[in-house]
Amino acid sequence: MLANKVIQMNKLFGNKLAIFIFSFPALFLFTVFVIYPIFPEVLISFQKNDGFRNMGYVGLKNYIDVLNDKTFWRANLNTFTIVFLSTFVALPISLIFALVMDRLSEPMRRFFKGTSVLPAVLSVTVIAQMWIAIYEPMWGLLNSILRALRLDSLAVAWLSDSRTVVPAIAAAFLWQYLGLNALLFYTGIKAIPKTYYEAALIDGAGFIKSSIKITIPLLQDVTKYLLVLSILGCMAQFAHVRIMTAGGPGDISRTVIYHLYYRAFSASDFGQGCAIAILFVIECLVLTFLINRFVAREKIEF
Amino acid sequence: MINGKRRVAVNTIMILIGISFLFPLYWMLNISFKTKSEVYNNPFGLPEQWVFNNYGDALEKFNFPRYLSNSVIYSVGTIILTVFFGSMLAYCFSRMDWKHKNLALSYISMGLIIPSQVVVIPLLIMTRDLGLKGTHMGLILPYSAFALSSCVLMLYAFFRSLPRELEEAACIDGCNIYQTYFRIIMPVIKPAIATQCVLIFMNTYNEFFLAFILGAEDKIRPLTVGLLNFFVSIGVSHWGQIGAAMIITSLPTILVYIIGNEQIENALTAGAILK
Repeated sequence: MLANKVIQMNKLFGNKLAIFIFSFPALFLFTVFVIYPIFPEVLISFQKNDGFRNMGYVGLKNYIDVLNDKTFWRANLNTFTIVFLSTFVALPISLIFALVMDRLSEPMRRFFKGTSVLPAVLSVTVIAQMWIAIYEPMWGLLNSILRALRLDSLAVAWLSDSRTVVPAIAAAFLWQYLGLNALLFYTGIKAIPKTYYEAALIDGAGFIKSSIKITIPLLQDVTKYLLVLSILGCMAQFAHVRIMTAGGPGDISRTVIYHLYYRAFSASDFGQGCAIAILFVIECLVLTFLINRFVAREKIEF
Repeated sequence: MINGKRRVAVNTIMILIGISFLFPLYWMLNISFKTKSEVYNNPFGLPEQWVFNNYGDALEKFNFPRYLSNSVIYSVGTIILTVFFGSMLAYCFSRMDWKHKNLALSYISMGLIIPSQVVVIPLLIMTRDLGLKGTHMGLILPYSAFALSSCVLMLYAFFRSLPRELEEAACIDGCNIYQTYFRIIMPVIKPAIATQCVLIFMNTYNEFFLAFILGAEDKIRPLTVGLLNFFVSIGVSHWGQIGAAMIITSLPTILVYIIGNEQIENALTAGAILK
């Protein structure tokens, strides 16, 4: 009977046609629209191409042009500024929110959980437009507050001043996902067995000490997940820049993806666009590799 | 642990921060009831003179029904394709015996580290060559392909936690693999499927970049891009109408959010638990 069952199960799960029918559609769709496009992309990056025709192979010229273009490096600087602010400012703030959330009373926590995700649920177009109004130089909220505090000298034109435009966009973008990331951190905290805290409580450790000694080290899997997610999200930043400044003033606030968009679709240079895309993919792969190499190398099991 | 005074302070701060996340709602509603000039004189306080024609005026110039239906078509289409094909592949990974299973699993995981923005240029050329340009499919197919990786991996983890007894019973009853999957397994994984639906909906409904490039024609524009176009077309002169358009655009999302708050929360955190 047992042997019979095993044979039947093997027949059920070893059916070649069924394996094909179950796996092929998804693998095919994935291959055609995610993996395959990389090949024409590499090819076009070696061509002079205006989006409609290949006007001949030019070797590494597109790559050399991109790398000699100051705007490309400016775009990289901007992108990595956003990545940096996300990693070292926004994520820690989310983590603090999560740690505090864990200590709140249930109704307070429900309220905070409910409101904090709202910005992430609303469309980027809405949020970015709201920040345009906040940064507006004459009647914007930020400058109104600064003037009320008699700090008129700080009230600049945030989105047209070359010194403030990138941090201003980063603040808008990162603020939108602050609450969502806090919620994700909190889920990780909830998964830590309470027994770990009881031990700390007996030792008389307070909120800060138990957070640093117990919670944060035990959260490293979630931290790593959020780190990868937020870094890749920041790398690919486009929407907020497009809506808030369109890369301006001039080309000062472009991110790498915005620069790609500009070269390919506004300057009709698909060759350079593809070269930027290839360089960008390499940057993303290196970053992902570094995080996997240096952050949370051992998986934690409770 | 935390004494009285400190608790009050912490609670107050957290309430203030919590309320600050509601600011977009307050602001949109607020300016949508103001006259063109009052927005400049009194941008953030309550309206002194309430006006209601901003909504009508905005709806006249802003083709909300079209953009909304496009957004819904993209989201629903992507959900159907991804969940249907993705769950089958995940099941195939978790249960069936085939040679290059692990290779295929790593292959599909590659989708997690390739940002969709990267391949926008070849995608544009491909959709043009395949005759998909200007059709909804031109966006649904890439959306689904990029949504597959995380969907397959999360469902794969879920399937592995299911006991094989389910299939053994079905097997003894003489079900074939298709009956087993669609009649026995599908009903069991409903909660995981619901989570995937919410997750894919949120990502697709708010997607911007691919929609901006591949969905550039007005008749296939989703709300995110359509709204930006409306802003550009009326300029920044009439914030009252901008506010009204934003409220109209956000209503479906807010409704979904209020009704499915718990479900959304579970979905958003599903990934973090999976790691």
